[in-house]
Amino acid sequence: MIAAALPSPGVILAGAVTAAAVSLWLLLPRGADSRAASWLGGLLGATALAGFVLTGRRLGGLGEEAVFLIVSLVAVISGAATIVSRSPVYSAIWFALALAGVSGVLLVLGAQFLGVATIVVYAGAILVMFLFVLMLAQPAGLAPYDRVSNEPLLSAIAGATLLGLLTLSIGRLSADPSCCQMPSKAAAMAAGTAGKSGDDVKAGDAIDSAIATDPLATDQVARLGGELFGRHLLAVEAAGVLLLVALVGSIAVVSRHGDPSGELAPGRRAAS
Amino acid sequence: MNQLALLQNALVVGAILFSLGLVGILTRRNLIVMFLSAELMLQGISVSLVAWSRHHGDFGGQVLVIFVLTVAACEAAVALVFVLQAFARTGRLDSAAWQSLRESNLPRRVDRELPAVDTVPPTFPRLTPAGVLPAADENDLLQREHV
Repeated sequence: MIAAALPSPGVILAGAVTAAAVSLWLLLPRGADSRAASWLGGLLGATALAGFVLTGRRLGGLGEEAVFLIVSLVAVISGAATIVSRSPVYSAIWFALALAGVSGVLLVLGAQFLGVATIVVYAGAILVMFLFVLMLAQPAGLAPYDRVSNEPLLSAIAGATLLGLLTLSIGRLSADPSCCQMPSKAAAMAAGTAGKSGDDVKAGDAIDSAIATDPLATDQVARLGGELFGRHLLAVEAAGVLLLVALVGSIAVVSRHGDPSGELAPGRRAAS
Repeated sequence: MNQLALLQNALVVGAILFSLGLVGILTRRNLIVMFLSAELMLQGISVSLVAWSRHHGDFGGQVLVIFVLTVAACEAAVALVFVLQAFARTGRLDSAAWQSLRESNLPRRVDRELPAVDTVPPTFPRLTPAGVLPAADENDLLQREHV
């Protein structure tokens, strides 16, 4: 069979991680770029992605698998293109596409509000801010520091090692089913047995929390808001203070105009 | 849907995004690209948190991601102000322009000579000229030929 001809998942993962490291090393800017290196890097990157896809678990439905595969591939490929693009403007645009992929993954995971908020906050506000700074500060053409990297080989090996360890520990999750039982389901089952002894209120609560994150529930965003402004109200207030401090602080720093002596900048001195 | 498989696949996606961001922030020298890499790491974390939130069936992970979004917005605002100030002082977006802040026993980084032009020139689409050639505009000097 085909499944028997494939090597074990561990071997595939090791090969994929190695291919990812070599591919990143080939794709990162290293001064003298050659077309052959970028082609080989892209090919090895595709091989690494194929390895990760092969070792992925089956989700069950074909449609769900296809949607998850497409959005995660968009996220990962655009993320890789973000860090290997020579031009920072292209990096920012690739990052926007990676955000779209991540938002798709969040939607598949049933986080409707976060999927939309990622697009609105990141792509709509933060990324535009990045592009404004690039417009103000980027010299025309490719700067020399965009065409070289700090230690691309060592960094690619470090990233691949981290990725290998993470995927190894993620793959072990299934080996020990007691580690990651859904507490809501366990609680529902426990409450179900307890309900026979008359504890119906608890059973109702447990089933209520079991459907709390059902992605098709119509009031899922309302529940999230209730949780946010109910149990985490103090944190929301703290986040508001943090936003205000960041706003005031950034305006205060930028309006001093980079003058270390505290004097007004030449343009402002003329104006005042 | 297989819940454990969904959790594992989403965690792997988050791990890949985090590793990519790590490699980017270690290697790239443009300050803007370094911040973009940090944001990529935050995206990986968000995916992992939401996956665990879905798996455990509560909103804790999603609430945490909302606060991650908030802090990321603040961080980007303050950091970009500092990037602008650094550019105003050195005229470059280069992190190596600040290597005088290094430890005294570390060697200075010296860039090797680069070829003057890219060996892989960027290709841009060309439109077929049509109609009359317009008069020359002095504002053309303000425009960039490429990004």
